[in-house]
Amino acid sequence: MDPLRAQQLAAELEVEMMADMYNRMTQACHRKCVPPFYKESELSKGECVCLDRCVAKYLEVHERMGKKLTELSLQDEELLKRMQQGSGSA
Amino acid sequence: LRDFLLVYNRMTELCFRHCVCNLNYRLLTGREESCLDSCAARLVRANHRLMGTYVGLVPALLQRRAAEHGALAGPSGPPASPEPAPGSA
Repeated sequence: MDPLRAQQLAAELEVEMMADMYNRMTQACHRKCVPPFYKESELSKGECVCLDRCVAKYLEVHERMGKKLTELSLQDEELLKRMQQGSGSA
Repeated sequence: LRDFLLVYNRMTELCFRHCVCNLNYRLLTGREESCLDSCAARLVRANHRLMGTYVGLVPALLQRRAAEHGALAGPSGPPASPEPAPGSA
């Protein structure tokens, strides 16, 4: 594949995934911070602060999950390599 | 890559929903961090197990379906040839 095309596809995929992450974050934080009582249209101060913290935490969780996934997939790769080496030498 | 990234996003949402309950602080607490680590590891292992079981079961299922399909098509024979047109003789 043409490297420029590959780069373009990667960028498009990243944008799509960021949008997906944003939607999930919105849903999760709305569920946690905005109770389903629609008597007033304005958000209370507590709800606003909750939303700010929720977004900060969600992004941190996202980063942490990414690192953990990378760590686990590297561990799996190493294990697979060891198994292959073991079966090859036998 | 797309599927992997979707799984990543789903995992983030699931683990966040389950582990992060205290929104009194901006930073993650120690308890939340260890919950998140366990959640990630569990989901990955569950996914691996699921995949392994699925890969083991699908060939038999497909074989069974193919056999059923063959059994349905077999006894009825090939479809009957259409009647010759009335004015053709």
